[in-house]
Amino acid sequence: MQGKTVLILCEKPTAAQRVAKALDERGDPQKQETERVPHYVASRDGKRLVVVAALGHLYTVAPSVKDRNVFPVFEFQWVPRYEVERDARETQTWIEVISELSRKAQECILATDYDIEGATLGYTILRYACGGKEKEAKRMKFSTLTTGELEESYRQLSDHIEFSTVEAGICRHFLDAMYGINLSRAMTVAAKQWSGRYAVLSTGRVQGPTLKFLVSRERRISSFVPTPYWGIRAKVEINGSLYEVEYERDVIESRDEAQAVVNECKGKKGKVAEIEVRKFLQNPLAPFDLGALQAEAYSLFKYTPRRTADIAERLYLEALISYPRTSSQKLPPTIGYRAILESLSREPRYEKLSAELLRRRELIPREGEKHDPAHPSIYPTGSLPERTLSEPERRLWDLVVRRFMAVFSEPAVKQGVKASITVNGHHFFIRGRQTLKEGWIFFYRPFMRSEEVVLPPLEEGQEVEFKEVLREDKFTKPPPRYNPSSLLRKMENEGIGTKATRAGIIDTLYNRGYVSGERAVVSELGLDVIDILNKHCPEVISVDFTRDLEESMERIQNGNEKIESVVNKAVNRLTPVLEELKKHEDTVGQDLSDAVRKARMQQRNVGDCPVCGTGKLMILFSRRTGKRFIGCTSFFKGICKAAYPLPQKGSVKPAQRSCRTCGLPMIQFKVQGKRPWTFCINPSCPSKEGRR
Amino acid sequence: MNCEICGRRTESKLCILHEEARKNLLKNYEAWRRSMNVSWEEYLREIQQNPFAGIWAKEVAHHLLVSGSANEQEGLAKGTETNK
Repeated sequence: MQGKTVLILCEKPTAAQRVAKALDERGDPQKQETERVPHYVASRDGKRLVVVAALGHLYTVAPSVKDRNVFPVFEFQWVPRYEVERDARETQTWIEVISELSRKAQECILATDYDIEGATLGYTILRYACGGKEKEAKRMKFSTLTTGELEESYRQLSDHIEFSTVEAGICRHFLDAMYGINLSRAMTVAAKQWSGRYAVLSTGRVQGPTLKFLVSRERRISSFVPTPYWGIRAKVEINGSLYEVEYERDVIESRDEAQAVVNECKGKKGKVAEIEVRKFLQNPLAPFDLGALQAEAYSLFKYTPRRTADIAERLYLEALISYPRTSSQKLPPTIGYRAILESLSREPRYEKLSAELLRRRELIPREGEKHDPAHPSIYPTGSLPERTLSEPERRLWDLVVRRFMAVFSEPAVKQGVKASITVNGHHFFIRGRQTLKEGWIFFYRPFMRSEEVVLPPLEEGQEVEFKEVLREDKFTKPPPRYNPSSLLRKMENEGIGTKATRAGIIDTLYNRGYVSGERAVVSELGLDVIDILNKHCPEVISVDFTRDLEESMERIQNGNEKIESVVNKAVNRLTPVLEELKKHEDTVGQDLSDAVRKARMQQRNVGDCPVCGTGKLMILFSRRTGKRFIGCTSFFKGICKAAYPLPQKGSVKPAQRSCRTCGLPMIQFKVQGKRPWTFCINPSCPSKEGRR
Repeated sequence: MNCEICGRRTESKLCILHEEARKNLLKNYEAWRRSMNVSWEEYLREIQQNPFAGIWAKEVAHHLLVSGSANEQEGLAKGTETNK
């Protein structure tokens, strides 16, 4: 006969399965399904444990006024997601099943992710689906889904859930809804009033300032005027080999001056004047926090921050790495360095690397500055994959494993050599760089870019011949565009958004059509939205304003501020902004409508017309047949009759690139459920010969 | 009033984006004149072709050349010495 029934609430089905397996005394929990909602029954210490998962958030914050044309609204409440989101219908069954299981349970344990979102979603389920069990529920805290840690976490249950974190989470949801819904409604309503057409326009508490960063960079790039300057490229011969040397000045402002340097040095013999040898230590990189992992994965594999976060989440759910949504760069000894390395040594490719570290008497990690009270930095748990990992998963796991190993190693010893060479009164430098002792690089080698330049033996006074001296015509360059990774870093440095939300906000900017491409190019719509907000309500795109609210939420989490005061502060700031927007609804509506119209035109713009050279090729619809085709804008002026056929099914959009074979623009064609296909619009393009 | 280049609503001839590019064109001409010894018109043509020039800077350069204001306005102020 079993005793109490305990309901354990997890965040995701995979986590629920792992928790059940870890806690069941026989390691074999019984899987059951109610209305296709899986849950697991385990037994431990005479108790019946029912482990069930949510599907992420089951409740969301919604305004009391449902009419999308009404703003401002400051009354918000938690409602089941299925009531307000069209694609969240299955959450209804989930809520009903959890309610039913909770009624039969005498105890509740929250085992969602130990962070602000995990606490908030757990709280809403305990409160609304479980009939107010949030105050009596206990809490499991863990950073990995390994059996050992889950068992330990169950033994050391917290008496209650983390209420201050929940309060901060609730505050974040309310503020995001208040800003997002009111501002987006104000913009959408204004545009609709003016043009009579509906368009999805949005901004938000973090979205606005993020778009502002992009717009400000776009303006610098698009209005950039380069200035000319000159440089010198030279090569010297030493012992029969050619080596590149740097001229003493990076920038020469006149062409004549640069040419004079070339004339005075070309074919001449220079003398090695001074040799400077410098040894230095290169410390291991700090353990990964989420931002650093996203940056490294982007730099090495070109994975977007969102993709990296998703892969890391999968690795966490497979118990291969610790909880990835962390901002910590610390590795506390309690995680058991030696046990992890011993476990990893079972994998052949880590055998030698682990043995190298395990040989040491003491393992001391080199940690970074950043600290997260909830979780340590990202580290491998030591568990090995139970299935074949996909290539991206394998790469990311390898990256985490090797970084973990590297932090226990000693610094690399490097040597830099800088020799100056004098010729005809001009100074050149030759530089070498060599690794004397690998240290941590031994572990992280696959992810290091080699910078080794080994110089031949040099002596002061040695003569070298300048074999090649060229004048280089150069121009100053505009600042680089943001990419998803550098934008994420910028948001992190500016203190806006959270580690859990930043990647999603960047995705929203792309989905709204404000930004496109890997090198984030801001669209006309993005430029206009920021221009309009800047004109009528600069506060809502102010970084300081957003950062101030982020700090307030942090104070709530630390118990130093109350949710009511922060919400009131936000309402007081938002009210005049919305009044101002309402007052200028006509102008705002006209500006936004123009921007939307231009954006729609832009989406149909395929490229320059190759026939007349003056018009633009656009995706058009025939008035007579209703069929779509590509035609030139000069057609209506009677100048050009260029036209190209298009498939009549599926969606088409300009691919923003030209055909390599014939140079005409290309189109991306997509049918639902199939991979997109990019092709040249020219039916007679030689590249299509094989297909005809 | 609409921007003469992009049609954005504005209170002067150019919208703020193209005006910013125009100011940059004026500001950097002196550096070009000093190092390349080019006239204002040659400068505008160079900018139109330059791969590092921003799209709005190119559009303003094109606009100034086409509208004939290249020599009449900025050219007079900036390029007289070179044109001698």
